[in-house]
Amino acid sequence: MAKAWIEDVKRVVYIAEKDVKIYFFKGPNLTFGLLLPVVLFLAFSIGRTVDLAFAIPGLVAMAAFFGAGAIQAVSLPLERRTGTFNTLLTAPISLFAIILGKALAGFFYGVILSLAYIVIMMPFSPLPNLPLFFVGILFSSFVFSAFGLLLSAPFRDIPEAMPPATVVRITMVFLCGVFIPIWSMPISLQAVAYSLPLTYSVDALRQAMSGLINIQMFLFNLGAQILYSIIFLVAATKILERTIK
Amino acid sequence: MKSIEAAIKVYDLTKRYPNILAVDRMSFEVYRGEFFGFLGPNGAGKTTTINMLTGVTKATSGNAFILGHEVTKEPVKAKEHIGVVPDASSVYDEMTAWDNINFSAKLHSVSREKRASRAKELLELFGLYDRRNDRVGTFSRGMKKRLMIAATLVHEPEILFLDEPTTGLDVQSSRQVRGLVKELNRKGTTVFLTTHYIEEADQLCQRIAIIARGKIIIADTPEKLKTMVQAEQIVEVSFDRTEDAVSKLKHLSHVRDVVTAGDKLRLYVEDPSETLPLIFDFAKENHLKVISINTLKPTLEDAFVKLTGLRPEIMAIEKEQNNLTRG
Repeated sequence: MAKAWIEDVKRVVYIAEKDVKIYFFKGPNLTFGLLLPVVLFLAFSIGRTVDLAFAIPGLVAMAAFFGAGAIQAVSLPLERRTGTFNTLLTAPISLFAIILGKALAGFFYGVILSLAYIVIMMPFSPLPNLPLFFVGILFSSFVFSAFGLLLSAPFRDIPEAMPPATVVRITMVFLCGVFIPIWSMPISLQAVAYSLPLTYSVDALRQAMSGLINIQMFLFNLGAQILYSIIFLVAATKILERTIK
Repeated sequence: MKSIEAAIKVYDLTKRYPNILAVDRMSFEVYRGEFFGFLGPNGAGKTTTINMLTGVTKATSGNAFILGHEVTKEPVKAKEHIGVVPDASSVYDEMTAWDNINFSAKLHSVSREKRASRAKELLELFGLYDRRNDRVGTFSRGMKKRLMIAATLVHEPEILFLDEPTTGLDVQSSRQVRGLVKELNRKGTTVFLTTHYIEEADQLCQRIAIIARGKIIIADTPEKLKTMVQAEQIVEVSFDRTEDAVSKLKHLSHVRDVVTAGDKLRLYVEDPSETLPLIFDFAKENHLKVISINTLKPTLEDAFVKLTGLRPEIMAIEKEQNNLTRG
């Protein structure tokens, strides 16, 4: 039993490793992961006074958000279209473990892109609590990777998967406090914001950035991201299960 | 050697899609060490059946067992024993041949010590070792198919599923793939093959199930299937011109049917000795020159035509469409 479990964990890692090899340098991933956060950031901040302590966590959260989800927007629909996803389905591994492997690849991508942004931003603004900021990135990258899988699970081709996923993501960016503080939004939009995972990611990173850590709130934000990750992974598995019925 | 123990058991397997009944209460067994073939046109339910047996899709109802493990209840255990070469690509274009085989080995828990030696052995066997570090995207279709089979064999599966393994391949690659698969079966691997090439099924399979519209019409050895149409006699003739010949020949007495086979015409008759003089008379009346004339023993194709009511040309047309679609 334990041996089978260990073998499953290994297979999860092998699938992630394979996705890293194949998809890390694909064009659309780099566009979404690297350029889109910068474009959105510039579009919103040019001509305004920018508070870096407010803006940087949002930018890093966006990097994790678009980066972690970018691989799934490509890998899952592409593999389903070409048939290589069946290689995984016919291997001795559960569908949930396959999904977990793919989530792991997106997670790594999100972490790397976020760290790249931190390195670029460091000369402009110090990070008072780097370890907690890093913890925030880890949790954010995983939940966004799982979210990316959920968004791409119903589709069998990249052109089908991209438009709805992009609309959902960009809408979320404007609702989750990346550019506009949530407290300044109408109550109805605040309710929507608090139902979205990006809000908890931005909040956790902003707390780490400010150095004034309310550890309970910080842990609450991480807990919310764990919960969302589980929901997204299970939902993505169920959707895929339905499509292979 | 074939053992009588079943490697695959299927009971009342059914697959229903919203608008189509793809597989209709199919039941059959494949014995250990056997080379078993599914022969039928596109859309007959061959790939759907393989997909249900290998975990790619779920059956609507019915049961299937792989070496005693029920496919729906113990999917991981069932899949430990199988290797699948699908109709579509199962290798990653972006990775090298070596990495593809290694990935397959890892997924099937081949030990680290064995991985490299198995990969080398298989790449050499399939004539791909010199290209091991090239991206698979640069490979020809035949090379990809060979790599797919190699990657499938890396964990030495007891049962090998091959879905249309030679479709779209050139003659040389097809022959190579057939030879390799035959050799694997000789060494003890149970092979489940789907094909719409009648000759391929005849050459390779110890037992063939002829399927059409989601149902097995009959399952038996190729030779026994041929004896079922033994009563039917065939005269094969070729003329210097064939226009209108088919419809005119159908009206000759004792001729039951006329089918085109390349530049030849096959006449299904009751007694060739009565028909032969009529054919020569027909040629003379129509100013045709007889290029060749033969009486034939029934082939598997004849059995297929008789049992399914389908023309073999339908399979050929579908094959061409398939290849065109794949580019």
